[in-house]
Amino acid sequence: MRKMWWRHAALIVISIIMLAPFYWLLKTAVTSENIYEYPPHLLPVRPQLFNFVDVWYLIPFPRYLFNSIVVSLIAVAGNLVLNAMAGFALTLPFVGRRSVIVLLLSCTLIPFQATIIPAYLITAHLGLLNSYLGLALPLLSTIVCIFIFKASFDAVPRSLIDAARIDGLGEMRILLRVMLPLSTPAIATNIVLSFIWSWNNFLWPLIITRSQDMQTLPLGLARFLSYMEDTTGALYAFVVMVLAPGLLVFLMAQSAFMRGLTTGATKG
Amino acid sequence: MRLRRVLLSRFFIVPAVLLLGTGVWNVYVARHDHGLLEGRVIDAAGKPVAGATVILSVHDFVTQVEKARTRTDATGQFRFDNNPSHLIQLQAQDGALASPRVTIRLWFRSQDRVVAQPLRLAPRA
Amino acid sequence: MRSRRRAMVVACFLAPALLIFIVYRILPLVWNIVLSFEYWSPLHPATWAGLDNYQEMLLDDDVFWQALWNTLIFLGSQPVAIAMALGIALLVNSDLKGASVYRTIVFLSYPLMTVAVAIIWHWMYNERGGLINYALRQLGIIHQPIAFLDSFAWALPSTIVANTWQVLGFFMIVLLSGLQNIPPHLYEAARVDGAPAWARFFRITLPMLRPSIFLCLVIGMLNSFSAFDLIYVMTNGGPGHATELLITYIYKEGFVSTRFDYAAALTVAQFAILLLLTWIAHRAVGGNAGAIE
Repeated sequence: MRKMWWRHAALIVISIIMLAPFYWLLKTAVTSENIYEYPPHLLPVRPQLFNFVDVWYLIPFPRYLFNSIVVSLIAVAGNLVLNAMAGFALTLPFVGRRSVIVLLLSCTLIPFQATIIPAYLITAHLGLLNSYLGLALPLLSTIVCIFIFKASFDAVPRSLIDAARIDGLGEMRILLRVMLPLSTPAIATNIVLSFIWSWNNFLWPLIITRSQDMQTLPLGLARFLSYMEDTTGALYAFVVMVLAPGLLVFLMAQSAFMRGLTTGATKG
Repeated sequence: MRLRRVLLSRFFIVPAVLLLGTGVWNVYVARHDHGLLEGRVIDAAGKPVAGATVILSVHDFVTQVEKARTRTDATGQFRFDNNPSHLIQLQAQDGALASPRVTIRLWFRSQDRVVAQPLRLAPRA
Repeated sequence: MRSRRRAMVVACFLAPALLIFIVYRILPLVWNIVLSFEYWSPLHPATWAGLDNYQEMLLDDDVFWQALWNTLIFLGSQPVAIAMALGIALLVNSDLKGASVYRTIVFLSYPLMTVAVAIIWHWMYNERGGLINYALRQLGIIHQPIAFLDSFAWALPSTIVANTWQVLGFFMIVLLSGLQNIPPHLYEAARVDGAPAWARFFRITLPMLRPSIFLCLVIGMLNSFSAFDLIYVMTNGGPGHATELLITYIYKEGFVSTRFDYAAALTVAQFAILLLLTWIAHRAVGGNAGAIE
């Protein structure tokens, strides 16, 4: 029991350190003082929410939110379909399977920044510049998620698969009826990981969007850094607004996510 | 049964509550955005001042730009009808006297507002 | 016949995902490799350059070496972060009341946009309004504010702190799941044999965590890519290349100076370094991606 007290104390200190930036952000967003005054107050001075009103009228937040949502939906849907299929294919024995696995694993070492120019040229060639599909296209499949599915499918007992094959089910049916229902953690992990990566993606929308009304949230945030160098907390109110949807989704889905991430981590 | 579980899951309730809240707020905004601004002007002793000029300035990126003027009526009250902005300043003037510039922040553009504190005239500094 | 049909199915199932990777990863890499051996600008046709780009990179370019050094320091901070995360995971792992609350708090920083994290920490380091300078001065540790992001000595460590803050939760989750998968009977046997706590840690815990640690090392390396967002917004490589990473240098050479051919050589160099580091990490956890017999 004494040991517990010590652990709690340490964890509380760690929690304070991890939460401090969040608190400072919130405090700056709602305070009425000149934020560049020294010393800064630890509590917000005459807290008010009018910074949010100012930001609302200065920046097309709903439009950016909508764009981000659409792109993320496309990316998540694409990820589920493509990764499940690819993960399933990798569980079947075929010639060259190891080479494909090695190839995919080495693809993860290619940084996105190295691919932007050719990717831009290809996307322009396809006529998908400044479009939702063009924004989502490079994110439609992620290698980590393929292997999460593969690990989950590998864990399905062979007897079930053999029984299904004997019953004459085709491969697609096996995937849909046997594998996927037993892999709900993997599906959840896929959804959350692909959502996070597409939602937070910054460099690709920076290059691909040509018009302001196709920009996504991270882009909008970076663009307005220079607009809002004033002494109020308006910029930080914008950051709060931008972070809110992502945090909300995460808080709702966190148990599913952490559970799925751990399954993938230990099996991979 | 499945439908009931879906409806009670947080993935449905949270967005539903958010949408509902947004809907209610939009209805409120639509009913209160005529741009009405009302207030009073008083002198240093606290008596209402008739015929004072009230200037409405609207926030325009960096500065405040004068948008409209009106005069107070016999009971010292004034009224603006078409405020387009969410960040405005009011100032009353009457000859050699003026009130300090009062900044008013609204929750949305053209929000109808009755200014709580009266504008108090004092000799110009 | 059976295997041919299966081969067709496999091909169909793999095709869409493979297509995405070929188009958006492999083709660009090949394009970069080829381009690194050429002189090219969008207005002139490509001419063969042999090893000139590489020669310039290795012999004439101080920024390259600075960026390389910074990148290595950045990557070197990942094992430190993993060790810290291991400590937190050990703390949270016991049957602690409210363990899931602590877990969520530590993990909360990971799903944030890196751009937002950069802005938050940029503000935290601010000389006047920032929490860090304020706390240090209140505690009497310093008497003048330190311009962290403008100083040659402090800029890179400051960005590393911000990055660690963001990534700690992810490492913790991976290590936590690894911890929870260690069969308790191993500990029982060791306790019966009279092994002290630190021996239990080094002989049982760490070896059993090898796959998780390897995963963390790999993710940590990939994390140096997403550090682009962080550096770009926080310091843009400054002051004077003190926080320049290879990744930001590639971006600047490619898009700001439009020297795509030189940027391609830099990209190939970075890719080679990462391959090397992955191989080293692979060896360090005992080969076979740390799998346990």
